[in-house]
Amino acid sequence: MNRRNLFLHRAVGPVVLAAALGAASHDTFAVDSATFSGLGVRNIGSAAMSGRISAIAAYNDDGKTVLYVGAASGGVWKSLDGGTTFAPKFDDQPVQSIGAIAVDPSNPKNVWVGTGESWTRNSVSVGNGVYRSTDGGETWTHLGLPESERIAKIIVHPKDGNTAWVCAPGKLWSDSDERGLFKTTDAGQTWTKVLAGANRSTGCSDLELDPQNPDGVLAAMWDFRRQGWTFRSGGASETAFSGSGLFRSQDGGKTWTEYTPAANKGFPAKPYGRIGIAIAPSDPKIVYAVVEGTRSALFRSNDGGATWEERDRSQMMVWRPFYFSNLIVDPTNPDRVFKTNLGLIASEDGGKSFSGSGGGAHGDWHDLWIDPANPKHLVGGDDGGLWTSFNGGSLWHKNENLPVSQFYHVAVDDQDPYEVYGGLQDNTSWIAPSSYPGGITNAQWEPFAGGDGFWMFPDPIAPRDYVYFESQGGSIVRANRHTLQQRDIQPKAGYKEKLRFNWNAPIHLSSTERGTLYIGSQFLHRSRDQGQTWERISPDLTTNDPAKQQQEKSGGITVDNSAAEMHTTIYSISASPQDGNVIWVGTDDGNVQLTRDGGKTWTNTVRNIRGLPKASWVSWVEASRFDAATAYATFDRHTFGDLDPHVYVTRDYGRSWTRIADPAQGVRGYAHVIKEDVVDRDLLFLGTEFGLWISIDGGAHWAAFKGGKFPAVAVRDLAIQPRDHDLVIATHGRGIWIIDDITPLRHLDATALDAELSLLPNRPQQQRLQGYGGWSRGDAVFVGANAPGSAVITYHQKTRHLFGKLKLEIVDSAGKVIDTLPASKRRGINRVEWAMTVKPPRTPQGATLAGAATYGPRVLPGRYTVRLTKNGQVYEAPLEIGLDPRATYTLDERKAQFDAAMRVHGLFERMADLSDRIVGLREAAKTKAATLPDGDKTKAKLAILVERIEGLRRQIVATKEGGAITGEERLREHMDALYAAIVNWEGRPGPYHLARADALEKELAEVEADFARLIEREAKPLGLDPQARAVASGRGSPRAAMHALRYHWHTPDLISTMREKKPH
Amino acid sequence: MRKWGILGGLLVALPCWVSAMNADELIAKNIEARGGLDAIRAIHSLERGGRLQAGGFEADVAEFKRPGKVRSEFSIQGMTQVRAYDGQDAWTISPFGGRKDPQKLSADDIKDLGIEADLEGPLVDYAKKGHKVEYLGTEDIDGTAAHKLRVTYANGNEAVYYFDPDYFLEIRIVSKSWYRGSAFEGETDLGDYERVNGVYLPFSVASGAKGSAQKSTVTYDRTEANGDLADSLFAFPQGAKP
Repeated sequence: MNRRNLFLHRAVGPVVLAAALGAASHDTFAVDSATFSGLGVRNIGSAAMSGRISAIAAYNDDGKTVLYVGAASGGVWKSLDGGTTFAPKFDDQPVQSIGAIAVDPSNPKNVWVGTGESWTRNSVSVGNGVYRSTDGGETWTHLGLPESERIAKIIVHPKDGNTAWVCAPGKLWSDSDERGLFKTTDAGQTWTKVLAGANRSTGCSDLELDPQNPDGVLAAMWDFRRQGWTFRSGGASETAFSGSGLFRSQDGGKTWTEYTPAANKGFPAKPYGRIGIAIAPSDPKIVYAVVEGTRSALFRSNDGGATWEERDRSQMMVWRPFYFSNLIVDPTNPDRVFKTNLGLIASEDGGKSFSGSGGGAHGDWHDLWIDPANPKHLVGGDDGGLWTSFNGGSLWHKNENLPVSQFYHVAVDDQDPYEVYGGLQDNTSWIAPSSYPGGITNAQWEPFAGGDGFWMFPDPIAPRDYVYFESQGGSIVRANRHTLQQRDIQPKAGYKEKLRFNWNAPIHLSSTERGTLYIGSQFLHRSRDQGQTWERISPDLTTNDPAKQQQEKSGGITVDNSAAEMHTTIYSISASPQDGNVIWVGTDDGNVQLTRDGGKTWTNTVRNIRGLPKASWVSWVEASRFDAATAYATFDRHTFGDLDPHVYVTRDYGRSWTRIADPAQGVRGYAHVIKEDVVDRDLLFLGTEFGLWISIDGGAHWAAFKGGKFPAVAVRDLAIQPRDHDLVIATHGRGIWIIDDITPLRHLDATALDAELSLLPNRPQQQRLQGYGGWSRGDAVFVGANAPGSAVITYHQKTRHLFGKLKLEIVDSAGKVIDTLPASKRRGINRVEWAMTVKPPRTPQGATLAGAATYGPRVLPGRYTVRLTKNGQVYEAPLEIGLDPRATYTLDERKAQFDAAMRVHGLFERMADLSDRIVGLREAAKTKAATLPDGDKTKAKLAILVERIEGLRRQIVATKEGGAITGEERLREHMDALYAAIVNWEGRPGPYHLARADALEKELAEVEADFARLIEREAKPLGLDPQARAVASGRGSPRAAMHALRYHWHTPDLISTMREKKPH
Repeated sequence: MRKWGILGGLLVALPCWVSAMNADELIAKNIEARGGLDAIRAIHSLERGGRLQAGGFEADVAEFKRPGKVRSEFSIQGMTQVRAYDGQDAWTISPFGGRKDPQKLSADDIKDLGIEADLEGPLVDYAKKGHKVEYLGTEDIDGTAAHKLRVTYANGNEAVYYFDPDYFLEIRIVSKSWYRGSAFEGETDLGDYERVNGVYLPFSVASGAKGSAQKSTVTYDRTEANGDLADSLFAFPQGAKP
């Protein structure tokens, strides 16, 4: 442990001085979420592609549609306005995968959520039971069934809100008992399993209540199982035993009858896979069932299920039943029925025929809500997000406000601002800037045509022109960013050979050989010429277990071999940044292979990991950037039903391994990724299915990062941008998040943590170029947040500051306090931003605001000091501010600009002073006149004088009031326009700017001279005080936070005024 | 301005045995922490001034209160925006675009202003005022396991108050106000408490949209209790056309 404290500030008497304190020990760190979370985090989305929606519930309220949307792995979102805006409502809960949402029909404030998606694709997340809110989603209570893992549907009794049924398929990856149909009659305090499956892999897949008789319950049971290498819906084959079946109860679940061909004419014969059911709300005798079987089809009963008739069995009715078995009947028309599938399909003849209804939507539909008040109004969810139709379901609006995107991987480049690259579940691969003037809109995200997206990198040889990315099964391409041409460069198989590429096949770029590219099948492939040629540099590194290579039989009753189950593959690659010949490879079947000679020889080191069960999926290998012998590995055993993190480190080339993250350390969730910091080898970041965890002591202690309400969402990949020191977080369910500048974490040690307050260093601060962007996009879009444009001040507090002033000052190099900022009060790391601006100039009061003069120019780059005063103790640290390296002007030119801006700033001050004196004299004249009787000669002279004084004022400022566009421009307005021109470009001003300043100064001087003459010749003779002064000016800067004003003032008119006045 | 003292000699860190907290106990502790009912009620007017800051933005603010009356002022470049309520009329002057005449505010604004105008605070005698309260347990607020109290105001708006677990002063209020049937959610962080006439008041008030990292902070630098505040400060200006 050799963390060095380079920048800690320690109290030395009443003033704290910067001091390099040397090495500090890691031994006793008391860290928790609060320690780190004040770093903050920003979500850059995107909602452009959005992500898989698994469940929808909605109702109409006072003419508006209230929507609850469940994301496959991104929580619950609520809209009170039919989908114009959404707010996440489940961010404080420990799981984010949503299987079902139900609104209590008798009290819509009561909302039930079943966690754990039931659309059981390979990448599906997990839940932990049932939650209920009694306040419309603001707060939630966990109601139990913690081992159910996933819930397909919840129905609340139409009249008794305490009674509800929960349909739980149960665990996907392992046998379990907490599956089947559960019922509560006490609002979830207790549960009764009213229908159990035939075996420990059978649970409930669908549920319907008779709308006219809530004791009439229809439940579909489903036998299913996924393993890393196979999946079955139903039994292991088309004919094998399956626990699936369809059951009916007429007594609220006490007794059940199974549907059979013998008892129910027309019902298909066993075995079944997944069954989806729907009772027509407007005519409960009409029942639909889509049954996966040896002859999968839609069946309809017109007599409440007694007899059935086969209806549609088109491809979109029966394709991939595990992913799409959902039927939705129009609440007003029993013959209008929708079926989710790759495309949404619809029937208006009771299921006899169907046609495509998905329009231009993404596809892979999972749920649909039909507005009972207007059945042409539909809201549906698919793998590409949420969609709304107003024409009955053939054309769709995309909701571009749900950033529930499911990234698998992320990479960054070295542009400034850097760009973020990544691929997503069923949503190809995208690039976006990490910041953009006006915010990172959906339009800033640039897609590349593909299938599912995974790894994506800029080509190191031509990073501005080419990217590597892949679709499922290792379909890597090299694509031109400008022409969008793609070249398939996937290594090909030899004679009678099969290359086994994982669904999420790893691509790796060497950090010691620029441009060297690796991809893994069962072999490790290397290209040194951008994919023109490949060499295999390993034998089969997997177990090559034939039992795990039977994917053509995968699917159960319906074959489903999409590459999602491809197994015995390489899953993770990491070449050492210290020694390019050292390459680690992890496989999905449990091998951790190492070569130290560039691939000539390989050693499987997994046998040296004590306590790790065999065949554990190696989700990540990470060669240390500090030491060739050190590497980290994470193992994901959730495919065996083990949700715990298994994270290890070796410091001797794999000869021995030490576990560094487990549940005993408070880490939750199966591990996806571990990353070492690029500067501090003891600073580690761990992504699990339930969030981001940080350790500052090499893994001895961990704490969950909860900054910015970062949810317990799956963190699948992490990237550190080494220039900006940002941590970029790829979540599978909530898009990309960025922690700007992790430098402070490198300086948190026992001394800093123990101190009452410690100022912590940041990356070098810059005055970023001021770009003007953004436009009115309405309220229905997501916009990602930018990196701070201000200087950031970071400190750690041992406890929350509650009493007395916490004073934060900025001091210039001359020791003058130039700004005082509101300090942040929280326990742990705090961050405060300083806009780096001079105070705005004092400005004469006019009819309207002088827009540009409401803000000050930025101070010059240079050395400043941060001074924090807490409880009488003073803490100081230097604050170095530099130019944006992108600046096209020199520091001298910047100084010329600042000088010019401050010159006009000074003219404003002069003008304000003049205005105060003019108005002061005018008021003095009025006051004196008021004391004189009518007809008095002096009074008459004073009245004339008042007019003359006012005439001078009218030369300075526009005075016509009333709010119309007067077009009136006087000295102040001209000065404001010049000030804007100079302030908004920080390079050297043009000679015409300076000439204009000369001209305006001359005009101002003339008014000053006129006023001086007026005082001498007219005011003094009338006995008026020549020093009279009123407050007819002021300063103020509404630039940065118009939105915030609303919370104090609710005055959009002020905001719109500012917007119009602000020069662009 | 009153001098403040850390803990003021009155507040004592309470042990965390208050597991069986209910709403009334929490409110009682809060009132005691603020200085007690007598001290709170001994304040019959309040005038505060300070600065509002958000990023590079800055403005002077002032606030005047009497029971049931409130006036807020916000000044830039010598122009002052006013927002006031006298128990009957709510009105504003918004001068920045060239208009200086007062305008009436809506019934929805009155709901918010009515709560702001409650000088002793809405939690004092909440039941008599028709508010409903519900204790919601604790929630982590930036590293503090804060007690959480939902208040449903008599006018239909809502707020969730978060109290420091040791000192029982408010550290955050999340408000939900309804404007033309749509919810408007704000989040206000309170801190830098100092005593004024025996009552602890926050001298730092940071507000923004719920969940937003961007907040505007008002830092008060002067507070005067029990000065004479004329009715005309709060009433719709005489002679003006509504």
